[in-house]
Amino acid sequence: MNVSFWVMAISFMIIRLSPGDPAIARLGAGADPAAIDALRKQLKLDVNPLQQLVSYIVDLLHGNLGTSLQFGSDVFETIRRTLPLTLTYIFFSAFFALLLSIPIGVVLGWTNKASFVYIYRSITSVIIATPNFFIAMVGILLFSIRRDWAPVFGYVAEFPQNLKFLWLPVAINTLIMTAIISRVLQSSVVETKNEEFVETGIIRGVSRPRFFWYYILKPSMAPTVVLMSYMMGTMLGATVILETIFSLPGIGRELVGAVLASDYPLVQGILLFFGVITVALSFLGDICAYLLDRRVKL
Amino acid sequence: MKLQKIRDYADRPGGFGIIVGIAMFAFIALAGIIYPLFGPYKSDAFVGDSFGKPSLTHPFGLDQLGRDVLARTLTAVPSDLGVAFLGVTIPLAIGTILGILLAFVKNRAFVSIVSSLIDGINAFPLLIIAVAMLTVLGPGLVNVVIILTFMNWARYARIARTRAIVVMQQNYIEAARLQGYSKKKIIFRHITPNVSSESLAYALSDFILVIIVVSGLSFLGLAARPPAAEWGAMIADGRTYIGDAWWLTIYPGLALCWSAISLSLIVEGLSRRDRGNS
Repeated sequence: MNVSFWVMAISFMIIRLSPGDPAIARLGAGADPAAIDALRKQLKLDVNPLQQLVSYIVDLLHGNLGTSLQFGSDVFETIRRTLPLTLTYIFFSAFFALLLSIPIGVVLGWTNKASFVYIYRSITSVIIATPNFFIAMVGILLFSIRRDWAPVFGYVAEFPQNLKFLWLPVAINTLIMTAIISRVLQSSVVETKNEEFVETGIIRGVSRPRFFWYYILKPSMAPTVVLMSYMMGTMLGATVILETIFSLPGIGRELVGAVLASDYPLVQGILLFFGVITVALSFLGDICAYLLDRRVKL
Repeated sequence: MKLQKIRDYADRPGGFGIIVGIAMFAFIALAGIIYPLFGPYKSDAFVGDSFGKPSLTHPFGLDQLGRDVLARTLTAVPSDLGVAFLGVTIPLAIGTILGILLAFVKNRAFVSIVSSLIDGINAFPLLIIAVAMLTVLGPGLVNVVIILTFMNWARYARIARTRAIVVMQQNYIEAARLQGYSKKKIIFRHITPNVSSESLAYALSDFILVIIVVSGLSFLGLAARPPAAEWGAMIADGRTYIGDAWWLTIYPGLALCWSAISLSLIVEGLSRRDRGNS
């Protein structure tokens, strides 16, 4: 609750407390003073900061995020248009990452063979240390230019065609996420392996699939789930870059466009959404971790 | 004798990775300092045909304006690693001191407000906040450092506070207090050194993230802008020509990976040393 208040206040303050006048930033230093005054009035910058915060919160409670300066349309409308695409491919990336991480993490954690683990950790280190936009550029070079498997950029919103545009960004996100998640899962499987109940399971002769699911995977999942919710927040941040590269019409590209156009109500609105989604994700992650492992404290 | 020492160090758990990491990092840092001073080409000089392929005279090739890509890649080292270094050390210092001071505050309400502020700041993805703040501050590397300071102190403050609360209960702090040392002396001579090891370890891994964020912002055209030599900006620049001239994008990207990997080798080596042999 406290945190969500700060998320709101920060997304409000960031732009207002930064040195520099948003109205001048939007119109340019040489603009007509009357126009600047008018814009300041429109943005409600002409009253004192406390009043600004109050009117912002009141507007927010009415579901009013303001009007975009670029499009003249409702900010909420713009977000609703762009957010679903971003969320869709983030969820798909997370889903595939989990699908890949579970076998990798469990097998490597269970066997824990030094040479395999060493190779695997080296590869994942390289992936983690590589910026996503560089991976994306290499991906474009390999799959869009050398082979004709993916279009260089662009997007078509209809269902079967859009897969052609989306698979590469999803693959890149999945690769990065798998590298991080499977590592954590692998080390928690190694830890779980030393617990007494695992030995009990072996002695009792629990069937293979049941053993791996209930005795190994389930107790090891909690840190992975928490990390995953955090990673999805980070992925949300990374969309700013990925969507620019692939020119996907998602919320990240919208934010960059809004920033470059100094469209300040839109920036503020998108910021608020990012904050809220991140907080919600980490809350969800904590709850899932608790459901999986009751030893986790909420 | 010296070599033997290094060899002994490498034999300890994680030692090999640490040494390789330091060597890799030193290599690129030194190259970045030496090349602009003594190198044959300047980063902004037009020295040949545009899109010249990598050759013996220009091992990394030439870009769309005929500038030497090797010269540009190495000239970018100070602006990339330097900015990232400032973007890690300034918040490290500020956050650690604030965190320790916060550990001393007894007022419950104040502490809970400040810690929820810290959580609130940490709730936003760094890149998003940075992009948004650059709306008003305007693009530029100095502004990137300001933003990193503004955002990242919170993480260090949290680490330092948690650690300081533990350290403050140790006997040696009690002993120092009983000996009648001033509060200032206790904080700076006894608490800070014991708190900072954890913060430094985090700072090192944060360094990787900050390098990626700085170059990512430049890639978006919000930090260093072309024609400035900066890896992210160079990759963004080369993006247009990736079909014809892959070397414009790949070499600055590899330099970026090289620095990040060298740091992650050090981080991993150190954490391995912490865990002992494994």
